[in-house]
Amino acid sequence: MYMKYRLYSIIFLVFNIVFAQAQSVGGIHGSIYTEKGQPLADATVRIGSQSTSSLSNGAFSINNIPAGKHAIQVSAIGYQTFQDSILKTAQDDLKLEIRLLANGQRIQEVSVTGKSETQQVREQTIRAVVVDTRAVSTQATTLTDLMNRSTGVRIRQNGGLGSRPEISINGFQGKAIKYFKDGIPIDYMGDGYNIASLPLEVLERIEVYKGVLPVSLGADALGGAVNLVPAKRRGAQLNAFYEIGSFNTHRIGVVASRESNDQKWAYGTELFFNHADNDYKALVGVRDPNTANLEYKRMRMFHNGFENFYGEAFVALQNRSWADELRLSVAGFALEREQQHPALMTDAYGAAMGKQQTVVPSLRYKKSFLDGKLSVDQFASYNNLKTRRIDTLMGRYDWYGEFTPNSTRGESRLPSLSRVNENQLILRTNIGYQINPTTKLDFNYVFTDAQRDGEDPYGPRLDGTDIDVLSLQSTYQKQVFGVSLDKYWLEEKLHNQLMGKYYRYNASGIQNTWFSTNITEADKRNVSGNYWGIAEALRYRITPQAFVRGSLEYTYRLPEREELFGNNIFVVPNFELEAEKSLNASLGYQQTFAGSLTVEANTFYRNTKGLILLVPIQAPNAQYQNQENVRGFGFDLDINYRFAKHYRAMANATWQNLRLHGITNAQDLWKNDARLRNTPYFFANAGIQSDYNNVFSTNDNLKAFVNYNFMREFYLETIPKELEPGGFLGLSGQANINSNLRIPNQHLLNAGFTYKLPTGHIHLGAEVRNLLDKDLYDYYRVQRPGRSFHLKLSYQL
Amino acid sequence: MKSLTLKTGLLAVAMATLFTGCSDDDTPGPGNHGTDKYVLITMSENNLNKPGFATAFDALPTGSIVNNSSQSKQGMGFGGWRPYGNWLLKMFSMESNALGIERLKVDADRTISSDKFIATADNKTNGSGNFAIVNETSGYYWDGAKPLAIQTFNPTAMSRTGEIDLTAAVNERGENEADIKFRSIGQKFLAVKGGKLYANITYAKTDGPQKGFWDDFYEDVYIAVIDIATNKYEKTIKIEDTGSIAYINDNHMYDFDTNGDLYIVTQGRSALGGKSKISRIKANETDVDKTWGLNMDDIQTGGKFVSVFAKDGKIITVIPNTALIPGGEGVGNINFEDIWEFYSIDIASKARTKISGIPAVTNPGAAFCAIEIDGKVLLRVNTKDGSKNGYYQLNGTQATELFNVTAGGSVSGLYKITVEN
Repeated sequence: MYMKYRLYSIIFLVFNIVFAQAQSVGGIHGSIYTEKGQPLADATVRIGSQSTSSLSNGAFSINNIPAGKHAIQVSAIGYQTFQDSILKTAQDDLKLEIRLLANGQRIQEVSVTGKSETQQVREQTIRAVVVDTRAVSTQATTLTDLMNRSTGVRIRQNGGLGSRPEISINGFQGKAIKYFKDGIPIDYMGDGYNIASLPLEVLERIEVYKGVLPVSLGADALGGAVNLVPAKRRGAQLNAFYEIGSFNTHRIGVVASRESNDQKWAYGTELFFNHADNDYKALVGVRDPNTANLEYKRMRMFHNGFENFYGEAFVALQNRSWADELRLSVAGFALEREQQHPALMTDAYGAAMGKQQTVVPSLRYKKSFLDGKLSVDQFASYNNLKTRRIDTLMGRYDWYGEFTPNSTRGESRLPSLSRVNENQLILRTNIGYQINPTTKLDFNYVFTDAQRDGEDPYGPRLDGTDIDVLSLQSTYQKQVFGVSLDKYWLEEKLHNQLMGKYYRYNASGIQNTWFSTNITEADKRNVSGNYWGIAEALRYRITPQAFVRGSLEYTYRLPEREELFGNNIFVVPNFELEAEKSLNASLGYQQTFAGSLTVEANTFYRNTKGLILLVPIQAPNAQYQNQENVRGFGFDLDINYRFAKHYRAMANATWQNLRLHGITNAQDLWKNDARLRNTPYFFANAGIQSDYNNVFSTNDNLKAFVNYNFMREFYLETIPKELEPGGFLGLSGQANINSNLRIPNQHLLNAGFTYKLPTGHIHLGAEVRNLLDKDLYDYYRVQRPGRSFHLKLSYQL
Repeated sequence: MKSLTLKTGLLAVAMATLFTGCSDDDTPGPGNHGTDKYVLITMSENNLNKPGFATAFDALPTGSIVNNSSQSKQGMGFGGWRPYGNWLLKMFSMESNALGIERLKVDADRTISSDKFIATADNKTNGSGNFAIVNETSGYYWDGAKPLAIQTFNPTAMSRTGEIDLTAAVNERGENEADIKFRSIGQKFLAVKGGKLYANITYAKTDGPQKGFWDDFYEDVYIAVIDIATNKYEKTIKIEDTGSIAYINDNHMYDFDTNGDLYIVTQGRSALGGKSKISRIKANETDVDKTWGLNMDDIQTGGKFVSVFAKDGKIITVIPNTALIPGGEGVGNINFEDIWEFYSIDIASKARTKISGIPAVTNPGAAFCAIEIDGKVLLRVNTKDGSKNGYYQLNGTQATELFNVTAGGSVSGLYKITVEN
């Protein structure tokens, strides 16, 4: 992709190459400075066909540079472009220090060819939708809003800040989607590290993979994966921010790191705190205490708050003979989430809440051998994730917040004072071997071990005993092996990735399907499963501005812990579960026109069998079972266009046609070819952004933006195909059925700006969300906040 | 259901009017001047929200029926009807499956919509919304928010009118018994007969999410008798040596014979049955008839009763052909296996006759196993493979298929009302 920069003056001062110890295969890193030696941020560094942008401390890093001669180009607004060439041999690990000098002489506008790291990921052979969080980190917006603007991705969140998010990718959601932090599965972090609470500042970007995953993400995902890539830390860096918003929202944090002069040591921390009352108004049925009839009113949520604290500190030994990096990190979080209502907004709760906390020490080791041909990346962590659910109130609240005492405990159906402990060990090994400049072999292995037990004085007991069902320990081990072969042909125009994966799990627990029956030795279960998966991805670069890519995958998703063990409340175990399996294919094309217009079109096909769903058995118990088969296709279209010097517009749309099939039960034959229920099938985004320098004074910058999101109506439950809305792609009117279960068309308009003060260190961001104050819903019509205002102050050093 | 109204003298005229079309004799419910509609409901998924469809037909359906057409209504809480007179009533709201009493209305053009809803203050305790109607202006229901009281309501206005505190009646036994964790009255069984309201008293060993179900403290089931005219508690009667009276959904698990005798299901000691019975309170009596009872243990070891229909001295019910097994699909057999067979039982002799021409079916659950419409006794049929899913008409002990629902889900109720033109 071409990026145009208006340059005012360019002077090249120093170009210094430092040969250092080998670090990673083909890695080149370094720093960009001004002529005064100050770090220069946002400079575009291009080496060969890859590029990146320098961080606020001037640092940059590009990996996977094959041996050979490469052109290097560095450009930045206000500085002269530097161009030269470098020779890289297999054993080289290059460190560059480049100084640029402004001369104040205005020159003509030039085009710079280059791709940021984020752009590179976008152009991977395995397609990823990339949310460039760093580029918008000064906006007073949220990760969930950012992701909802992305092609083919929906974040379904049933409330305000901190409410549990669920990402939907190509119509698949829930446990079919796996989450990673920098390539490491993060199940062990519970709710403490997710897109609902993370501030933009701590992430470099988010990679959303649809279907096929790179082998480095070792998981049994079926629908896709989300990789949260932390902000790169090199040199000295400080980033502090504070956001205040409607509904008593406060978000504050600091990210800081430092590197020793000899770059042998690095240390840093990130701390953030979120608080929101989330006391927006929602349309709910309010019961008249006399007549018992419901009257629908807009009531303020009074027990919907969220608060969490997250902290992480690391110290790293690097550039050693025995390690490129050895990083010891300790992360911890504590969160509290009030529960205003049950799954549907039928009742008001005033005291029920959940808590979660953990402290996670982790170790990461990276080292390359054999002149950089062989690289090893090892991660290990152990933690005890503690989860509490508190619902002990002797009484109930109404929507006015009035309390009425009574004799039974609990606001929900499940009175609880539970403590659940999950002791988890995670090991992840990634080994890469560069066979030759165009061929690479990767191996990845992830081992997860979890042991769960707990207590709940108000929870169920085994019949005739005082044994707390929650105290019964269950164990779960999962191993995911992956191997991939990367190969470039035709002068790197053609890139092929062939991957094989092997999954294995063991689980043990108690098949206490009925809490009313006594448990004996015969009820203990040990189950295991082994599965193979294979994937193939191909990308062909037709021209420097256009490429086509496709992938094909046959994969499995193993039963998760809760699906096997139940939750010891309503969900009872099922050790008979089979893995879900899916055949996924995708084909995409991307082209950039004249450096200002980028168009990307993708289509996908999915055929998934044995979807695991929660179904009732004997009321009130439910159990996860292999139920439905889903297949279908869809397409995304994404357009990004700089239509004027200061203006850029973007738009994307996703349409997906996922339908049930293979149903043989006579009374359910009508569901064959019906859309997958409770799954949006069309959504679109459009946005426009302006970007002006020198608005109020020299060297300031003002960016303003407006983003619009549309989601087509969908239905909570299955409707026959012949009754679906008509028109092109089913986008006209409503379904031809009188339904109480329709989620209507939704329109969301957000607008805001960011202003960078001339010093370059301070940014001011403001945003109005849901500007039109429309009713927005998710998850069984649970309402989301109306219009809200947010202001953010950032300081970057 | 026909029986509740037919056997209460107060409403005999009402049902006569219903069955004969237009009449100047007003009966409970709106719209008796008009055309008949046969409203069929099906459940499209077997999940706890009970989503499904309802369709109003102009005539009693026959042949192959689609219940999710453009004329259908989609909603939740479609496990079954608990109708009364000319009213379509059920215990769960279409909007959200919330507990309470919902009345639906049907327009002349067959459009179905929610009419009015009485919400219980307690939307978490099974049995909230359990109700019985006396006449068009008087009814009773239970609300878990006040488990020791019975709420009163006006069925025409569909609004609560007050409550009767029955704490003293409940506390006649076990008041100081520490192992009784939960007490309620009317949670699972409310019936109106001969000017009396009959309400079960729950003494439960648990106070958790299943309180009141399969957790009886006593081995006898207690029923309070309340005088409807005065709303005064009179006495407590009991069904001996059984457990788990009725259930918590639209299938109230009792029925009135043509002569007014009341037949009551108790499911037994656990969800797997054991000591399950059908007991009787005779038309002119206010106590359980100790001289008569059907005991499932005498019929099928490890079985239980789950539904009852009484007419002309016969009981129609389903009896499992094997012992019940706990567990979900593929493991257990209680709900979704074809083990339930239709029988006609002569009340006087207790002689059972297996009804022919009809397959073994799945558990009717919240649906009544048998209903009466237009003088026809109809049996609800749903087989595991879905090949049979509709109603059969009973003639003697021979059943013949009336209609089969091919789309919309498992059939869970059928009722006839008259709507205004």
